[in-house]
Amino acid sequence: MNNMFNNLVIFNGYPFSVIVAVTFHSLILVLLIWMQSRSTTERLELIQPTVIKALFIDENPQTLNRQAAERRAADEAQRELQRRQQEQQEQQEQQERQRRQDAEQAEEFQRAALRKRDELEAQRQLERSRERERAELEQQRQRDLAEAERRRVAEEAENQRQELARAEGARTELELIQSATAIIQLAVQQVWNRPPSARNGMRAILQIRMLPTGELLEARITESSGDPAFDRSAENAVYSAAPFIELRNLPINIFNSNFRILSLIFQPEDLLN
Amino acid sequence: MNDGISLIELILNASVAVQMVMLILLILSIVSWVIIVQRWLVLSSAQKGVFGFEQRFWSGMDLSQLYKEGSQMQQDNVPVVGMENIFRAGFKEFMRLRQQGSVDGEAILEGAQRAMRVAYSREEEKLEKHLAFLATVGSVSPYVGLFGTVIGIMNAFLGLAAQAQATLQVVAPGIAEALFATGMGLFAAIPAVVAFNRYSSLLDNVTSGYITFTDEFSSILHRQIHTN
Repeated sequence: MNNMFNNLVIFNGYPFSVIVAVTFHSLILVLLIWMQSRSTTERLELIQPTVIKALFIDENPQTLNRQAAERRAADEAQRELQRRQQEQQEQQEQQERQRRQDAEQAEEFQRAALRKRDELEAQRQLERSRERERAELEQQRQRDLAEAERRRVAEEAENQRQELARAEGARTELELIQSATAIIQLAVQQVWNRPPSARNGMRAILQIRMLPTGELLEARITESSGDPAFDRSAENAVYSAAPFIELRNLPINIFNSNFRILSLIFQPEDLLN
Repeated sequence: MNDGISLIELILNASVAVQMVMLILLILSIVSWVIIVQRWLVLSSAQKGVFGFEQRFWSGMDLSQLYKEGSQMQQDNVPVVGMENIFRAGFKEFMRLRQQGSVDGEAILEGAQRAMRVAYSREEEKLEKHLAFLATVGSVSPYVGLFGTVIGIMNAFLGLAAQAQATLQVVAPGIAEALFATGMGLFAAIPAVVAFNRYSSLLDNVTSGYITFTDEFSSILHRQIHTN
């Protein structure tokens, strides 16, 4: 032990010291990195609560008008269809009546003519012809009925198809509106700086007018929260969030009916006070 | 941004000046630790040597016998250090002057004392070696680290000025890297200062032991001259 110690001192202990120092430093470095990697894996995820509720109020008169017109048109079409069906039925009935009258007249005439000749012969002939006529009539009626049935079924299918297509269009349109709404909501939320006077439950409604390019034309407070600072902060948020470039991708008719004039509700619910 | 920056990324992404400062501090830290360990070996062996030699010296052993043992050790390539060196220098000079015969007693004693003083200052120099470096590291490396911090924070704020919208994410990595430089400076300085203080007191201990021994040994030589 003493000998080894002395041997170390022969070289003044330099190699040993260098090894100790380098090992010490690399150990500390490894420890630091290990601790760092552990702390990164255990990091908490911050979840930010919803800051504002940017709800849309559908106040666009254009849309309302169009919807009303559509509804009226649909009603009218329905009524028209019913009336046409009724007419058809009436026509059919009339034809039937006409035919029956014709047949009776012919019968009368034949009877009168045949009465002069052999009555038996006439009777037989009359019977035969009457039978034939009746069969023919029967056939005709059945054919008419089948035709009407077929037409009705086709019409129904057509109606159903139209309704389905209309519903599908409405759904994709709704999705587009919802995604655009979410984008605007998020953009405004991110830049909204609430003043210190803001309280939970305060509510300001802003009406904004936009261009199809997503540019903001005007933002107007339609319902004040009662706190001017709060109103101003909402207005500032809208102005600094604009332009909403994503709106450029919307079809123009959807934009016109939903986003040209838009109402945003600013209502904080995540404040601590 | 979302997931945190690791320490390695932080260091690799630092500006060149800060990286240089970190490198310098790392080297300083390693070197100071080399010296800490090496000085610990030397000083503790010197302290042990003081106790061991004093025991042998006061065991009643004949002084010429003790001198011969030392010569044997030198032949065996075992280093003769510390107090024994002082003893050997003084004893050798004393014997040499005595063999010449003509010199008077006071001159012999003076010559032996001078030889011991030279040996003492040589021993002290050996023990003190590199301690000044520890003192320098201890006092300077915090400033070096601070320098790195200043440059790092300056860079961070320059980056902030280039940004249109100032966010914490822009400045945070720069400040973290800057603070890391200060941390490294302190990391190098603290052990150096502690070791320097500890070793200074140890050195005082050992050298005062040497001085005491020199006085005692010269009194023995004095007695020897005057009894003859």
